[in-house]
Amino acid sequence: MSAVQARPLAGDKLIVVPYRKVSAAAMATNLVLILLGCFFLLPMLWMVFASIDSNPDWAIRIPSPTLANFADVLGRADALSSFRSSLILAGTTTVLTTLLALLSAYPLSRMHIPFKRPFMLVILFASGLPVSMLVVPVYQMYVYLGWLDSLYTTALFLAASSLPFAIWLMKNFIDAVPVELEHAAAIDGASTFRILREVVLPLTVPGTAVTAIYTFINAWGAFIIPFVLTYSPDNQPGPVEIYNFMGSHGLFKFGDLAVFSLLFSVPVIVLYLFMSRYFSGAFNFGGAVK
Amino acid sequence: MLSEVRFDGVHKIFGAETAVEDLNLTVNAGEFLVLVGPSGCGKTTTLRMLAGLERPSYGRILIGDKLVNNVSPRFRDVAMVFQSYALYPHMNVYDNLAFGMRARGASKDLVAQRVKETADVLGLGKLLKRRPSELSGGQRQRVALGRALIRQPQVFLMDEPLSNLDAGLRVQMRAELSRLHQRFRVTTVYVTHDQVEAMTMGDRIAVMNNGRLQQVDAPETLYDNPANVFVAGFIGSPRMNFVPGRLASSDGRTSVAFLGITTPLGTGSRLTAGASDGEVTVGIRPEDLMWRPAAGPDCTLTLSADVDVVEPMGHEAYVTALCAGETVTSRFPPRSGVRPQERVDLALNPARLHLFDAQSGITILQRPPAAGAETLRSVGEARTNDSAGGRSERHGQPEARRVPSRTEEIS
Ligand SMILES: Nc1ncnc2c1ncn2[C@@H]1O[C@H](COP(=O)(O)OP(=O)(O)OP(=O)(O)O)[C@@H](O)[C@H]1O
Ligand SMILES: [Mg+2]
Repeated sequence: MSAVQARPLAGDKLIVVPYRKVSAAAMATNLVLILLGCFFLLPMLWMVFASIDSNPDWAIRIPSPTLANFADVLGRADALSSFRSSLILAGTTTVLTTLLALLSAYPLSRMHIPFKRPFMLVILFASGLPVSMLVVPVYQMYVYLGWLDSLYTTALFLAASSLPFAIWLMKNFIDAVPVELEHAAAIDGASTFRILREVVLPLTVPGTAVTAIYTFINAWGAFIIPFVLTYSPDNQPGPVEIYNFMGSHGLFKFGDLAVFSLLFSVPVIVLYLFMSRYFSGAFNFGGAVK
Repeated sequence: MLSEVRFDGVHKIFGAETAVEDLNLTVNAGEFLVLVGPSGCGKTTTLRMLAGLERPSYGRILIGDKLVNNVSPRFRDVAMVFQSYALYPHMNVYDNLAFGMRARGASKDLVAQRVKETADVLGLGKLLKRRPSELSGGQRQRVALGRALIRQPQVFLMDEPLSNLDAGLRVQMRAELSRLHQRFRVTTVYVTHDQVEAMTMGDRIAVMNNGRLQQVDAPETLYDNPANVFVAGFIGSPRMNFVPGRLASSDGRTSVAFLGITTPLGTGSRLTAGASDGEVTVGIRPEDLMWRPAAGPDCTLTLSADVDVVEPMGHEAYVTALCAGETVTSRFPPRSGVRPQERVDLALNPARLHLFDAQSGITILQRPPAAGAETLRSVGEARTNDSAGGRSERHGQPEARRVPSRTEEIS
């Protein structure tokens, strides 16, 4: 790399550099990235096109526009109830996970706990385990407890499976809050409760939000667990419903499928945008300590 | 309400590192004690133990008559200025200042009034609505200071509270802190790296090194009678010159040879009991090593030296010269016209010499107080009371403390 690099620094003007050789390695990298991008983009493109096409099929093509698919889906009771189910499932999971993660991450971040490091590593390892591995024994357990086919008990398991990563994430956010602030507050005469409420919590709001959004998005897209643990049509969340669209309703309605998928993605996209905003501001403790 | 602070055999050990070792120190009620020492010597650790943020590994800490080892920071009633500021980043300056008073349940009006007063004293009046991230380093430091000053605690702990201010503001804040202390007499432990702050603000100065307290004394005493080579070299700028010397006595008179000359010790100086003939370290402050033409009549010794470097400071000049194989620094008047490579005559008053044991570095000379430098400050007396109480606050190496503090007249 002989040419000077253009470096857009924050707050700086972009310095335009005249010429830069494109190396073979850089070209190969970009090619692979474009290919990978296509894998994700093409299905999305299909989804968008098919949703407004009057006669969609497997192929991606310029649609003959119509809103009939939207009208159709919004008129379907099963589609609407699956939104409701997804909201209950993901919402309950998020509240449970975030609350528990906050409560367990704080002592993990601040206190001297024997074997903390190995414990944290176990948590990290646990967060990488595929939950589908556990689905059969969990199913048996739920049968035994009589917990099957309830969105709330299903959320309980979803929460349990998302907790390790949430704790890990949350601990790192709390680690980033300088402990000296708590010391200063204690010397200022604040009670433990006041310190948590007025110093720690406000500073962990961004981290908590990120954890909550992350958990919500994961629970929103969860398929295998609700698929196994719920069965009545009223309790089918979105991903399971999409599967049903494809499988059991006999006639394959591509348009409805595309519209439903599109609508179901909207909350995720909105939250992602919101999170990326928050992420950039999450570590902004400017001026707290030298 | 004046409270005494006492460290009683306090140690703080972090794993393999001893940050503070056997600290015995009493800060008198209403005293302004300055704590100095090189970086990493345990000053912050000492303050943190006093604030309750760190628990001593051994020993006892008392505030007033109360043993506070197990008292949480919240109930110790101390206010601390953190070296790192530790401002609440999500609160504006007003709320940062008000936090402590609100936590203690002060009324809204009282808080508003005190915040205004404090902000005015510190020149923060126009910044009350800003967040810490929108302040300059010096402004942040003043907020950190204000958060302590707004309260009326039993003890102030200040960890380099003025380090980030510009020269003018520092002088102003120094005066302000001194005035506040005159007025309220709150017991204060003040850490600084600034020689001027140490000498001008402290009723007494405590010098630490490597986790050990070296000496606690009134500034002038510390300057005139440093307990060991470390204190002698640490206090005073430019640093004291140390050169090897030899002590010899004959006919009941003791003389010391150094830099190619020999001189009897000044009258009134006493050697400590541990002193014996042989190798010593001779200490000479740069201002005692004068340019011959500028020296007074009591500078009876003359040394010739080759000038190496001249550093003009404006109101004076530091001249580094080579004298009998040793490099020495001397303070010259501003426009002496002396140039490098030139040979000059330096003058020295033998009464101003410092003598230290060559091995242990402990002083072997008790010099009489300089004329007119009798202890002016009430704290000088406080210290005397202290030693009368049987607590020794002068530390050298361990063997020095075994030696009874008997001194013998030598002339
Ligand atoms: N939490 C800790 N764990 C381990 N060692 C520590 C800890 N805190 C301080 N130390 C060590 O104790 C020693 C004293 O530290 P301290 O912060 O008291 O120094 P200081 O005198 O305040 O220095 P400075 O002038 O640089 O602020 C240092 O060697 C430091 O590395
Ligand atoms: Mg420090």
